[in-house]
Amino acid sequence: MTIHLSILIFWPLLLAVLAGLSPRGVAPVIALFGALVPLAYAVMLVVDFDTAARGLQYVTDDEWIPELGIRYSLGVDGLNLWLVGLTGLLFAASALWIALRPPERAQLYAVHFGIAETAVLGAFLAQDLALFVLFFDLMLVPFYFLLGQWGGPERVQAAVKMVIYTLVGSLLMLAGAVAVAVLAGPDGPNFSLAFLRENLLGEGTQKLLFVAFGLAFLIKMPAFPFHGWMPDAYRNMPLPVLAVFSGVVSKVAAYGFLRIVLPIFPAAAEDWQMIMLILAVLSILYGSILAFTQTNMRLILGYSSIAQLGFITLGIFALDAGARGAQGALLQAVNHGLVVAPLFLIIALLAARAGGSEDIRDMGGIAFRAPVLAAMFMIVTLATLAMPGSANFVGEFLILLGVFDSRMAIAIVASIGVVLASVYALRMYIRSMHNRQGPAVTSFEMSLRDGLVIVPLVLCILAFALFPQRAIDAGEPAAQGASRAATGAAR
Amino acid sequence: LSLETYGWLVLAFPLAGAVIIALTFNVLPSRAHGVIGTLAILLSFLAAVGAFSELQSLGEEERQVVAVGWDYAVTSGVDAQVSILLDPLSVFMMLVVSGVSALIHLYSVAYMGGDRGYPRFFAYLNFFVFSMLLLVEAANFLLLIIGWAFVGAASYLLISFWYRRTTATAAGIKAFVINVLGDVGLVLGTFFIFQGTGSLDFLRVFAEVDQAFATNDGDLVAGCLLLLLGAFAKSAQVPLHTWLPDAMEGPTPVSALIHAATMVTAGVYLIARMHPLFEQAPAAADVGAILGCATLLIAATIGLVVTDLKRVIAYSTMSQIGYMVMAVSSASYAAGMFHLMTHAFFKALLFMAAGSVIAAMAGIQNLDRMGGFRKAMPFTFGCMLVGGLALSGVPPFSGFFSKDEIIALELARDDWHIVLGVLGYVGSLMTAIYTFRMIFRAFYGEPVEEARELEHGHLYHAPEPTNPMTGEVEDTDVGFPGPEHHIAEREFSMKLAMGGLAVLAIIGGIPQIPDLNESLHHFLEPTFADSRFYDTVEPSGTLTVVGMIVGAVVALTGIFIAYTLWVRRPEVPARLQARFAPLHTFFVDKWYFDEAIDLLFVRPAAWLGRFASTTFERVFVQGALVGGASGLVGLAGAAVRRVQTGYLRYYAALLLLGITSLGAYFLVSA
Repeated sequence: MTIHLSILIFWPLLLAVLAGLSPRGVAPVIALFGALVPLAYAVMLVVDFDTAARGLQYVTDDEWIPELGIRYSLGVDGLNLWLVGLTGLLFAASALWIALRPPERAQLYAVHFGIAETAVLGAFLAQDLALFVLFFDLMLVPFYFLLGQWGGPERVQAAVKMVIYTLVGSLLMLAGAVAVAVLAGPDGPNFSLAFLRENLLGEGTQKLLFVAFGLAFLIKMPAFPFHGWMPDAYRNMPLPVLAVFSGVVSKVAAYGFLRIVLPIFPAAAEDWQMIMLILAVLSILYGSILAFTQTNMRLILGYSSIAQLGFITLGIFALDAGARGAQGALLQAVNHGLVVAPLFLIIALLAARAGGSEDIRDMGGIAFRAPVLAAMFMIVTLATLAMPGSANFVGEFLILLGVFDSRMAIAIVASIGVVLASVYALRMYIRSMHNRQGPAVTSFEMSLRDGLVIVPLVLCILAFALFPQRAIDAGEPAAQGASRAATGAAR
Repeated sequence: LSLETYGWLVLAFPLAGAVIIALTFNVLPSRAHGVIGTLAILLSFLAAVGAFSELQSLGEEERQVVAVGWDYAVTSGVDAQVSILLDPLSVFMMLVVSGVSALIHLYSVAYMGGDRGYPRFFAYLNFFVFSMLLLVEAANFLLLIIGWAFVGAASYLLISFWYRRTTATAAGIKAFVINVLGDVGLVLGTFFIFQGTGSLDFLRVFAEVDQAFATNDGDLVAGCLLLLLGAFAKSAQVPLHTWLPDAMEGPTPVSALIHAATMVTAGVYLIARMHPLFEQAPAAADVGAILGCATLLIAATIGLVVTDLKRVIAYSTMSQIGYMVMAVSSASYAAGMFHLMTHAFFKALLFMAAGSVIAAMAGIQNLDRMGGFRKAMPFTFGCMLVGGLALSGVPPFSGFFSKDEIIALELARDDWHIVLGVLGYVGSLMTAIYTFRMIFRAFYGEPVEEARELEHGHLYHAPEPTNPMTGEVEDTDVGFPGPEHHIAEREFSMKLAMGGLAVLAIIGGIPQIPDLNESLHHFLEPTFADSRFYDTVEPSGTLTVVGMIVGAVVALTGIFIAYTLWVRRPEVPARLQARFAPLHTFFVDKWYFDEAIDLLFVRPAAWLGRFASTTFERVFVQGALVGGASGLVGLAGAAVRRVQTGYLRYYAALLLLGITSLGAYFLVSA
């Protein structure tokens, strides 16, 4: 089957432009159509993908700016296959949510939403460093507008903070990308990732450039202590946007480590391994501890995401022989997106039942007349805390097993995070759904409109919990390929 | 049907029950859910019987069958499949779990009759049984951990079943977190074992373990100790036991099923299942045996002074599991499993009887408020008495044989294990005392108002239901424990369930009577064929006889002491209490385990959290790191802010423009 990745990437952008030109009532529907086609495409990819084959599939590789050595090259392998699927799913779910609750200035909203999906898909599929940097930076634009114009009361300050923070990382990465392309190419710069993998730089240069890329990705995730922009942004971003932002954008950063940093800076990855592992463990512990002191549900999830991304970073830099850590990290990236998106949408439902407050102190007893909502929320909560039996557990198991293989002590310290996760996740659930009813709480069941979005996502979580093997099959050769150079250097 | 099919069916019925109840919770009439739930477990039990007969038809050498469902997480040497192991040990556990569960479901059909969460209760209960069966059937570590954690989650859901009680939700999260700690132990233990043997599959690991690890190899001992962490968290052994007494917040059938008969014995099963590892790491096994013995003593001392009816039985459960853990850690596998079975019978029975009494007291659980129920509730009293005699180890009740077998095997080890055996008798004495203290205080003496009313045919109803733990007025919107209560005397299904268990509590010793009938030992033999101790350690004939006599005497002495203290001379306990006040306080305060855990773990974590969020996050992350950028923005005032955001918009627009033109360039040049 021929699948054109360019159509997949640019379809949302095209429809976004159409939505921008259409009347207000139609725009969200067009945006939904713009998200459903990529979802269908992504499902086709997942079904059609040949897990036995090595290397890239569905490759598009054209000359673009030959003077600068930039090619328009796209491709799918085990590293991005399921992340593309996740992107398609979450954007479709969020677009449906938006279509069912049209915001103000819906045309413009739809434009930014479409650009966002194009940017994310482009970043996942790019096989050229310049193309990746371009899409990576493009991601910032629509989210800046969505946060700054449709966000909560402190939206402007939050948007500025987010942009300044991530811009620092982006500029560093841009400089790093140019440097690596210029230094590696014998005759003129060459941004092709395939070329850069074959023509490694000297160890000293690698170490320097690693920092540029590493910072960009750690800020984007965010990881401790580069998360200063996160609380304000999470507090103010519209929830359906936050669902895709937290679900997908942070994964681009994790993915960047696997796609770019490990293969083209393997020696540096080995040198910086311990520092990255320590940052990861600190993210896990710090994020978890803060998550169980917060009362704003968005921040509970925000800090828990820092912890979860910490686990993912941990797996990426496990650099164990079988690349189990990296495989777990890939799986966990999909898992985290799959649970965090419905959780953010559930916050909207809870706030509607708690007099508009998103603070767990104003909630309580919501489960009473909302058994279906309570059940959905419970399933997602248990998956979030990586309950064995969920795919999240398989991810964490492989991550910890990988780290256990290479750095046992780190794995044991990190496993404290698993216990802490159960504390913050259950605390959030109990304080909102159980206990005595809060003063402003009215408990009522979720509507069909809510269910249309939440239930399919929960079903995906359940299906994935039963059959994580499909994602693992695709990830095994890709993760091993990505970390081979770094582990080879380690041994 | 083949053995494998039966094995899958055992799992399928409870899961299907849970799913059907969950999907039809507001479609079918409430009562139907009780029937569906009970039927599902009954079918599961029948399938387990089928598996048993299929297993027996195989030759002894072939009685270890692995059935593979599908690949779960197979990658880079990790061989985690959805696969079940059918051998005598797992089939034995399947029979006990599904059998006892079926009876407890039957009891719940009536007992929970007035509850608004009736369908939810049965969905949870069926899910629990599924999880427990998954735990015992799992053929590899990953699936075991899944069953292990599911069981913990089901327990959490049922402990906080009455979720508007803050005491119930607090108890729930406590149980869950301690259990997750155990899960983590299990996971890390698995890593150690996987690293040595290169497999997660039980049979492959057991075959490899002798080559992979030397005796008492450091890694193996560490792995086994971590497995013990998991076992201790689940089985409420010291010092991870503090969740179990609090778990009594759940409805009484839950206490009977999960917190007495099945889930809490999972740790015992785990140690027995992992016996090839523990035999290769005797140092870890010794730790298990000693801590098991410590638990049985500590729990018994608390059981002597607790005044909450359900908590007395809960501490007794802890203590009895201490016996089992001690047994399986000392390589007395059959004895441990035997006691697991008889304990499931009589402890479930005791809880059911207690539930009936509590219903008659309209929810009150305090022994100080009870008395004289003997005439008002003859059936409940009879059941409580049978359960109590079995628990105390009075011949010929089932507990007598199983407990004495454990002690006899400790004595037969002929090394320091003898001390454990002797301490086992001390525990046995205390068991008889606290059991009959409970029975005498609830059923003898002057009848309380509730008992007198019941004698005249009125079931007592509290004018305003209150939470027995806090005195808080109940939120009766959640239904039970609301105005409606059900006692065994009036409900046929409760009577049937309790009667069945009473019979089992009496005759449950038959499968394993020293020197007469050792069918349980022989049945389990294929699982333990590779054990170094299974057939070699055996008490001599004299030791057996002497042991049985001593056991019977100790039990009767205990009952006599209880009779003296609480029936003949009821003024003495108060005098003793005053005389040994510090010791009494020490026991009443549960040896201060809760306080120690609070001081060592909970408070530092909370303090760290507060420090991190109020100080570190604000000053360092938000202040210093962001300060350079957005702090500047904040300081420079509105005008600057407009410029800044204007600049950013400009930048964003430029980026967009740049990308569009690059795209155009591409289109033109392509």
